[in-house]
Amino acid sequence: MDRKTLALALSAGLLLVPGVSYGQNAAVTPFDKLPDWSGVWSMVGGTIFDRATQTGEGGSVTPGVREHPPYNAAYESKYMGHLALRDADRYPDVQTNCGVPVGFPRILNLPDAYEFVVRPDVFYIIAENGGNTMRVYTDGRKLPAKEDTWGTYTGVSVGHWEGDTLVWETTGLKGDRDNDSILDRTGLVLSDTASITTRMRKINQDTLEAKMVINDPKALTKPWNVTKQFKKNKPGLFLYDYGCAENNRNPVDTKTGKTFVLGPDGKPVN
Amino acid sequence: MRLVHNVVFAAVVLAAGSLAIQPLLAHHSGAGFSKDTKEISGTVKEFQFTNPHSWIQVNVEDESGKIVEWSVEWGSPNQLGRDGYRPSTFAPGTKVTIKLHPMANGALVGGFIAAKMPDGKTIGKWDGD
Repeated sequence: MDRKTLALALSAGLLLVPGVSYGQNAAVTPFDKLPDWSGVWSMVGGTIFDRATQTGEGGSVTPGVREHPPYNAAYESKYMGHLALRDADRYPDVQTNCGVPVGFPRILNLPDAYEFVVRPDVFYIIAENGGNTMRVYTDGRKLPAKEDTWGTYTGVSVGHWEGDTLVWETTGLKGDRDNDSILDRTGLVLSDTASITTRMRKINQDTLEAKMVINDPKALTKPWNVTKQFKKNKPGLFLYDYGCAENNRNPVDTKTGKTFVLGPDGKPVN
Repeated sequence: MRLVHNVVFAAVVLAAGSLAIQPLLAHHSGAGFSKDTKEISGTVKEFQFTNPHSWIQVNVEDESGKIVEWSVEWGSPNQLGRDGYRPSTFAPGTKVTIKLHPMANGALVGGFIAAKMPDGKTIGKWDGD
């Protein structure tokens, strides 16, 4: 093969590489057709994942507070167990040990600040808390086959735009398989069979809304609908890194569920 | 008592006057803070302006005349920074009075409510919790 033939062959090969030239994919929405979700956002309300079904007054760690997902008997029983531990201040949130991502859908249930980065080929959720990141590919690819996923905290997500609404599917979640992924501190969990359809759009200039439909044949008796909203903050704010392990004086013992408080000498005082 | 922890941070934010981003969730859940309010006066030893939470270390003379070190937990420096606070807010050597929610077990640790500085200025919700 001479050099000219080789060059032509290489060029043809490059054109076949998936994802390189997303702009040529008719399904991909170009920049000038995408909505403006720039700025700094913060979640509306506290960190109860499903406020619409909350009973009891208070936050996620307040005894008596719970939500009512359409759990089957086995997962309702599991949730009741978590609630009992929570009420006794012994339900461990592994996030307190600064080691693993919060995953999806909990990444849409965090305090502090968010950025939502809209590009033709991918949508990024950047949460300052954690810090946590999620990617939703919008370059026309398909979700991987089930046998090509292995269960991760955030799973895999593929989406597309329907006008000003981003619609994405998430699968490949590890759920409660390893007891290290929750939705909030009441002890809500999903299983490793969960899949979630999310529709996210601006409902007014300063409010983004994400409506999730959660299916989970192992844990739920019917689809679970949850809506989260985010308010835009004043312009010009700086976001920072969140070095969770920088000075974590509240590690949790995942075996007993106890949250320690470390004194100035680094030893627990409780 | 775990709710108190969130209330503490909510109070901080309200007092700070920047309501944009509320640190609604403490990094950890319950840590044994009571609903009681306690006031301590002493000298700032160190202000740990660090994630996931800030800590104000204060040397305080106890009832027996002995100097003991209190640890006062505050919010994330990310949010505190956006609210205008800096590592110099509690400079070492500063005389300060702090209102806090003490731990129920009597440990010298508490959740920050408010502080009064030497010039009389206050930080947080000094007049009511």
